Amino acid sequence: MSIWRDIKGTIEPFWITLRNMFRPVVTVEYPEVRTELAPRYRGRLILTRDPDGQERCVACYLCSAACPVDCISMQATEAEDGRRYAAWFRINFSRCIFCGLCTEACPTMAIQVTGFFEMANRNPLETVWEKEELLVDHCGQEPDYNFYHHAGIGVAAARGENPGEDKPVDVKDLMP
Amino acid sequence: MPTLTIDNQTVIVAEGGSVLDAAIALGIVVPHYCYHPALGAVGACRQCAVTILEGSQKGLKMACLIPAEDDMQVSTCEEEAVAFRAQVGEWLMTNHPHDCPVCDEGGECQLQEMTIGAGHGIRRYRGNKRTYLNQDLGPFVAQEMNRCIQCYRCVRTYKDYCGGEDFGVMGSQQRVFFGRFKDGPLESDFSGNLIDFCPTGVFTDRTNRFRTRSWDLQQAPSICPHCSLGCSILPGGRYQELQRVRAGGNRLTNDSFICDRARFGSDWNNHPKRPREARISGEKVEFPYALELLEERLEKLVEEYGGETLRLLGSPRASFEANLLLKKLAEKYGAPAPYYDAHPRRAFAARMAASIPSGQLASLKQLRESDLILLVGVDPLAEAPVLALALRQAARAGARIVALDPRPLELPCDFEHHPLTQESLLRGLSAPEENELLESLRQQLETSQRPVLVGGGELLGGEGLRLLLHFSESCCGSHDCLIFPVLHGPNSFGGGILGATGDSNRNLIEDLENGNVRALICVETDPAIEHSEPGRMQLALSRLELLAVFDHLPTNTVATADIFLPTRTIYECAGTFINNEGRMQAFDPVLEPGIPIVVTGSGGHPPRQFETTPPGSAPRSAVHLLQWLLKDRNDLFGLRRQIIKELPCLRDLDRLAAGDNGRRIADCGDTLEESRTEIWAQEGELQVLPITARYGSDLYSRWSQSLTSRFEEPSVWIHPVEAAERGFVNGQKVVLRTVVGHFHLPLVFKAKMARGRLIVPCLPGTPLEVFTPGGLSLPCKIYSEVDNA
Amino acid sequence: MPEWMVILLLIVAKLGLIFMVLLTLAAYLVLAERKILGRIQLRPGPNRVGPFGLMQPLADVIKLLTKEDFIPTQADKWLFLLAPGLAAVTALLTFAVVPFGPPITLFGHEVPLVVCDLNIGVLFFLGLSSLAVYGMTLGGWASNSKYSLLGAIRGLSQLISYELSMGLALVPVVMLARSFSLTDIVMAQADVPFALVNPLAFLIFLISAVAESKRIPFDLPEAENELVGGFHTEYSGMRFGLFFVGEYINLIILGSMLTVFFLGGWMGPFLPGVVWFSIKVLFVCFFFIWVRGTLPRLRYDQLMHFGWKILLPLSLLNVILTGAFLLWRQG
Repeated sequence: MSIWRDIKGTIEPFWITLRNMFRPVVTVEYPEVRTELAPRYRGRLILTRDPDGQERCVACYLCSAACPVDCISMQATEAEDGRRYAAWFRINFSRCIFCGLCTEACPTMAIQVTGFFEMANRNPLETVWEKEELLVDHCGQEPDYNFYHHAGIGVAAARGENPGEDKPVDVKDLMP
Repeated sequence: MPTLTIDNQTVIVAEGGSVLDAAIALGIVVPHYCYHPALGAVGACRQCAVTILEGSQKGLKMACLIPAEDDMQVSTCEEEAVAFRAQVGEWLMTNHPHDCPVCDEGGECQLQEMTIGAGHGIRRYRGNKRTYLNQDLGPFVAQEMNRCIQCYRCVRTYKDYCGGEDFGVMGSQQRVFFGRFKDGPLESDFSGNLIDFCPTGVFTDRTNRFRTRSWDLQQAPSICPHCSLGCSILPGGRYQELQRVRAGGNRLTNDSFICDRARFGSDWNNHPKRPREARISGEKVEFPYALELLEERLEKLVEEYGGETLRLLGSPRASFEANLLLKKLAEKYGAPAPYYDAHPRRAFAARMAASIPSGQLASLKQLRESDLILLVGVDPLAEAPVLALALRQAARAGARIVALDPRPLELPCDFEHHPLTQESLLRGLSAPEENELLESLRQQLETSQRPVLVGGGELLGGEGLRLLLHFSESCCGSHDCLIFPVLHGPNSFGGGILGATGDSNRNLIEDLENGNVRALICVETDPAIEHSEPGRMQLALSRLELLAVFDHLPTNTVATADIFLPTRTIYECAGTFINNEGRMQAFDPVLEPGIPIVVTGSGGHPPRQFETTPPGSAPRSAVHLLQWLLKDRNDLFGLRRQIIKELPCLRDLDRLAAGDNGRRIADCGDTLEESRTEIWAQEGELQVLPITARYGSDLYSRWSQSLTSRFEEPSVWIHPVEAAERGFVNGQKVVLRTVVGHFHLPLVFKAKMARGRLIVPCLPGTPLEVFTPGGLSLPCKIYSEVDNA
Repeated sequence: MPEWMVILLLIVAKLGLIFMVLLTLAAYLVLAERKILGRIQLRPGPNRVGPFGLMQPLADVIKLLTKEDFIPTQADKWLFLLAPGLAAVTALLTFAVVPFGPPITLFGHEVPLVVCDLNIGVLFFLGLSSLAVYGMTLGGWASNSKYSLLGAIRGLSQLISYELSMGLALVPVVMLARSFSLTDIVMAQADVPFALVNPLAFLIFLISAVAESKRIPFDLPEAENELVGGFHTEYSGMRFGLFFVGEYINLIILGSMLTVFFLGGWMGPFLPGVVWFSIKVLFVCFFFIWVRGTLPRLRYDQLMHFGWKILLPLSLLNVILTGAFLLWRQG
C-alpha cells in the first residue's frame, strides 16, 4: 500500500541523516591542510614557449572565441620573419571560470592550465594579467611540439624544409 | 522556371540555373570551390558531385554543370556521391600546409567549411607535401601559395572578369602556380577582388594582415563613399577601428566586385589626425557647449542682420537626410536655400542628372547587358572604377564601346577611343548634326538594341549633360536610349534633387565676396578644397564673421573654423545615399565612434584604467546635430517618412534596408531646361585640364594611408606630337604657368590623349593639390626649365 | 528589606534570567543548527570563530548590528519598522506562561518557576501564536516587493490552516488534564506523559508545531529558491536579525509547549525538574533541526491538502474519540 510506502519513506531518511551525523567529516580544512590536486587540475593559465624558445602563441583568436565568459582578448601582429604573434594578450582572471576550453581550442599548445589557483585579490585590476605575466620560460605539457614545424609556410624553417615537405617547385619547369 | 526535387525537397530555380543553384536555394550544403554566382561554373574542382536519379542525364554528376530540369530527381546523400566528395576533399587537402591558426582566411574560409562539409577530417596521406615560393604582390594582396587548391577562381576573377593582364596561371601538373610572371605589385585596379574570391587563404588582405578574425568583426552593410556609383560594401571594424572593407552583393550595381580604392581606401576613418573634439576658434571645448554656442550665435546673427546673411553648404559626402535637414534649417532661419556642392559646375551637373527622367537612367546591370556603350567625357578608372568592370562585362558579351574623351583612357577591355578636347566635345554635342563623328555614332546608336550613353559630369558639366540628353533623344527614336551620368560624390544625385528648386544662378563664392554674408555652415564639406578656385574661396572664408563646420576629416577649414563640431563617418551612423542612377541605398552603422584601441594603447596593451569622458562628448552624426538645431525629435525612420511627404518622388525611402538592392526614385519633376553659358576655349590655344587621378583625388582617398603607395608622381601630360612641335622630350622638367600658380613638373608623353591640351592629375600632398577637377580647362603656358630661368 | 521588595526582586531576577537564557539559547541554537546540519552533510560546520566556532553567534550579532539598515523607498515605512519587533516580541511573550520547573523556595518565599501561571494558559499560547503571524504578514506587506508579499500570503494561509489542527490537538490534552493552566497540565502527567496516553494528538501537534515554526519542510513563506527570502527579502541588518532570532525563540517556545503538553514538562526521575525540562526542550529543538536536515520542502498544494484534508479531520476525530474514551472510563 502506498501509505505504508509513504510513511516508510518519511521515517527512513531520519535514520540516514542520523547515521551521517556520526560519520567522519570529509571537509579538507584548506589553508592548514592542502589537498592533492588531480594531475589534470585546471588552475591559472600560462602561455608556453616552443622547444626553440619562441612564443608558441600565434594569436589566432581561437581561445578568445572558445572562451564562454569572454575573458581573453588579444591583438595579433606580424614579426619580421613572418611569424604571427600576439602584440598584446590579456586574460581577465576575475572573469575566468577555469573551464579549460581555451586550452582545448589552442592549436599550438600555447595556452595551458597549471595547478596554481591562489589568485584571490582585493584589487580587481590585479587579476587582469598581461602577456608578460602569462608567458613562461618552458614548454609545459607537450614539450616537443612546435607548430611551425607542422604548418608549412616557411616561418621556423625555410619553405619546403619542414619534415614531410618537398623542396619548392620550379613553376617555370615544363618537364613532365 | 524548372521545378526539381533534391533530397525529397522541391524547389523552383530560375531559367538556366544549375542543380547546385537549386541546392543552395534549398540550403542543402553541396561543397564546391570553383563555382561562384558571379563567375559561373567550370567544373574544375570536382567537389560538387551529386547523384541524378531522374533526368536527361543520370548518375554521378557535377551539380554546378548540370542545368536544372523539370521533374528532375536529385540526391546529395547517395553513398557513391558522398564517398566521391570525401575523396575529392581529401585529395585537395594532401598538400595543404595546415596552418589555419596563422591564416587570415581562418573563420571565413570556404576550404575549411567545404572540407568538413565533404566529410574529410583526418589526414591519411603520408607522402610529402608540395611547396611553392611566394611572390610579393604589392601592398594590397598577400600570397601564400602552399594553401592553393588549384580551383582557378583567381584567374577567372582577375583576368576574365576584371581584365587584369599581369596575373595568370603558370606551370604544369603538380606545379600549377597562380601569380605574376615576376614579383611586383598587381597592376589592376580591382586586384582586391582576389581576396574575396579565393576560397582559401592564398590571397589575403595585406593591409589588414593578422589584425582580426571574421567572428570578432562588427559588420554592417554599407555603401562605398568614394564615388557616385554607390557600390554595396561590407565594412568590418573592431576595437573602434575600421579594419577592412569587403564587397557587398548588389546584383543591380556592383555585383560582388569593388575597386581597390573602395576596398583599401577606408582607413581615413581611423586617421590619427581625425578631429574628434568640438572646437571653438581652435580651442577644444565640450561638445554641448559648442553646440549651444552655435545656436546662440546663429540666433543673434539672424536677429540682428536677418536670415539672408546666413549661408548653408551641404555636401555630396553627407547623407541625404543631413542635406534635407540643412534645407529645413535654412527655412527656420529664413536663409536662402542651401548649396549642395561647393563646386558650382559639379552642382549644376548633379542638378541636371537628377532631372533626367528616371526611366532613362541606366543601372550598372543594364550597362553590363548593353550592346553599344558610348562614353562621353568620362574616365571610368578614375571617376567610377566599377563602371570599367561593367564595361568589360558588356564587351565580353559582344558590346561595342566607344569613348570620346581628351584623356589617355585605359579600360580593361577593347574600345574605340576618339581623343577630343573638352571644348570640341561640348561644341560637338551642342551641334551633333555638324559633327561627322557624332553623326556616325548617332546612326549606330539608332540601330543598336540596348545602347547606353555614359556622360561624365566632371568633364561635361551640367550643360554638357543637358546636351547629351538632347543628343540621346535625337538618336533613339524607337527604343529607350539610356543615360548613365557619372557624378562626383556618393550623394551628388541627392544634392541635385534637393537643389533643383533653388535659384540655380546663385554662386557661393560671389555671395561670399559680395560681403552680405556673415555666417556659413558647412556640413561635411570643405569648400576650400572642393571649390574650383581654392585660393579665392579660402580668402572669402576668412572674411566671414562665423564659419561653422561639421566634419570628420582633418581639413584646413576644420582647423580654421570658428565653431567646429565633429561628426560621425558613414561607418558610424545610418543614413541614405542616392547614387548616380537615382538609386536610394541605405547604410547602417558599423562601429561606435571612438578613438581606436591601437591609438589609446599606442600599439601595446590597451590602457587598464579607462578614461571617463563626459557623456555626449563622442562625435554625433550630422543628422543628429541638425536635428538638435531644429529641435526635431524624429528617429531616422520618422525622418524618412517626413521626407516622403515633402518629396513624393522618394516614396520608397521608408522601405529601404541596408544591404538590400536599393530602390530607384520616381521622376522628381520636369527635366531641367535651364542652360548656362560657359565660355569654351578655342582650339589651338594651349590649355591645361586638371583631372581626377585614379588614387588620391577624392577627399576620402586623400586621407587613406593605405592608398598612398598608389598615388602617382606629379607630372604634366602632353601628346608626343604636340611636344615635338615645341621641342620637348619625354620626362623633361618643365615649368607650367597658370592663373593658380606655376609648377615645376616632369613632362610625360601620352600618345592617346587629345592634342593641343596639357593634362595634370590633381594629387594631394603635392603642389598640384591646388587644382580641382570638374572645371573647364585653364589657359596656360609651358616652358622648359632652362628657358624659364 | 521589605517583603514586597523581595518578591519584586525575585520576579525581576526571574524575568532577567529567562530573558538571558532564552536569548543566549536562541543564539546558540543557530550555531547548533549549523553544526548539526554540517554533520549531517559530513562537514564540520562553523569552526573558525573561537574554539569549535563557539564565538560564531557573537560574530553574527556584530555583523548584523553593523550592517546597513536599509528601507526600500516604496515601503510602508512604519509597518516595515514595526514588523520584525512584533515577530520577536510575540515569541518572547509566550514564555510568560511556560512552567519550567516545580516551585522552589528562596529566601523563605515559594517561587513558582513560571512567570505567570495563567488559568487560561493554553488559550494565551494559542492567541499569541496567532498574533505572531502579524509580524510576518505585515513585514511582507510593508516591503512592497512581490517576493515578500507572496511569502507573507503563503505564511498567512499556512499558519491559519495549521493553527486549527494545533488547537484541536490540544483539546484532548485539556480534556485529560481538566484545566487550561499549563502547570495543571504538567501536574496531570505526573505518572504517564500525554504523548503515550494520546499519541495521535501528540503527532498532530508535533506536525502543526513544525508548520507553525515555518521551518523545513513547511518553510514556504521563506522558500529561498523560489522567493529569494520570502517575507524578509527586503530586510537587512538587525531588523532581519529580529526575524531570525524570533524564529529560534519560537523554536524554543514550541519545544517547551511540546514538553509541557505531551512530554510531562519537568516531570522525571532522579534529576531536578528544571534539568528534565531543559533536556526535553533541547531534545525537541534537536528534533526540529534533524527534521530540517532530513526532509525536503513540501509543495504548496501538498501543504494545504495535508493540513485541511488529513490533519484537521484526524484531530476532530481524535477529540471525539478522546471524549468517548473519557466517558467510557467514567462509566
